[in-house]
Amino acid sequence: MVKISDLKVGQVLKSEFNGLTRDLLKQYAKSSGDTNPIHVNDAVAEAAGLKGVIAHGLFSFGFISKLFEDFLEHGRYGDIIEFTVEMRGMVRVGDLLLTEATIEKIEDKRVTFNIKQTSFTNVEIKDSDGNVVKQFEAGERGYVSEKDIVRGLIKTKEVEEGTLTYRERIAIPGIAVIELFE
Amino acid sequence: MSSIEEIKNNAEFLIENLPGTDLPGTAKINVRYKNLVSFAKCFGITNPKYVGSEEEGIVACHAYANAYTIKSLYTLAPGVRLTKNGEERPLIKDPRMILHAGNKYNWEGCVDVKPGDKLTGTAKWGKVWLVEENMMLFAELITTIKNQNDETVCNVVVTAGIRKGGY
Repeated sequence: MVKISDLKVGQVLKSEFNGLTRDLLKQYAKSSGDTNPIHVNDAVAEAAGLKGVIAHGLFSFGFISKLFEDFLEHGRYGDIIEFTVEMRGMVRVGDLLLTEATIEKIEDKRVTFNIKQTSFTNVEIKDSDGNVVKQFEAGERGYVSEKDIVRGLIKTKEVEEGTLTYRERIAIPGIAVIELFE
Repeated sequence: MSSIEEIKNNAEFLIENLPGTDLPGTAKINVRYKNLVSFAKCFGITNPKYVGSEEEGIVACHAYANAYTIKSLYTLAPGVRLTKNGEERPLIKDPRMILHAGNKYNWEGCVDVKPGDKLTGTAKWGKVWLVEENMMLFAELITTIKNQNDETVCNVVVTAGIRKGGY
């Protein structure tokens, strides 16, 4: 049960999604009616200067709304009142999406959350001699830009096969307002 | 590719002429059970409230607001007619240059969307502005979606970004 008295400013809700494929973007395009080919056709996306398909800006928003639907147990404990979201970073096939919502304010039965959805884009894995042992789509298609490097978005971490280079950036910041029944 | 002066001139034209005006017409959207389920499954939704049987009845998940909003705007936007210097010009010169910049959804006092609903979308232009750093033009579309009973199902403000060369 979710009650207003159980919530505190600073409390965080989280979810992860790691299954973004071209087929899923096609399914989303068909069911949403957002048929812009830059989301499903690499050749068109390349012609538009995008180096490959990008997810619909609103596709990843779906995981934000799902986070709150799950939290409210699908309307059992309250209603979603408002979402304000900004599509800031392109999301690519293969990206891991981390959605975090932090309670910013509680007023009566209304709760305001700061939302941050972060995309993690794997680029390549190098062994201890510096040889590339695995290259991901972002490495092959050149999704990482000089701007990403300058902004400090490119990071590394040790994994089983070697050193993984990846980009971490905010895909969607925003605000959510919900209202609880109790 | 147009010159920077021409691009700026096009932006100024849209900034002066769009805000406050209605997009002509209304968009009609028929809500189908299969479509609601397919949409919800994109996000791994398994709750029967959204993906249950047709007989027991379902409602649209909140993210489905994306679908009826986009369908509305794809229907309404081509109806926009603009005349610049006596000549008709398209609203968007290259649709590939359009990006979603942001959305604001409000469901306060709204009713659920259900299979069989016949939705109507209307929209008007809100603020329009240019970011000169990257010559990205932004425009707000204030969109209202109602069902067949004239009940509002969602109020959405869509912010679209149009990259240089697209406007």
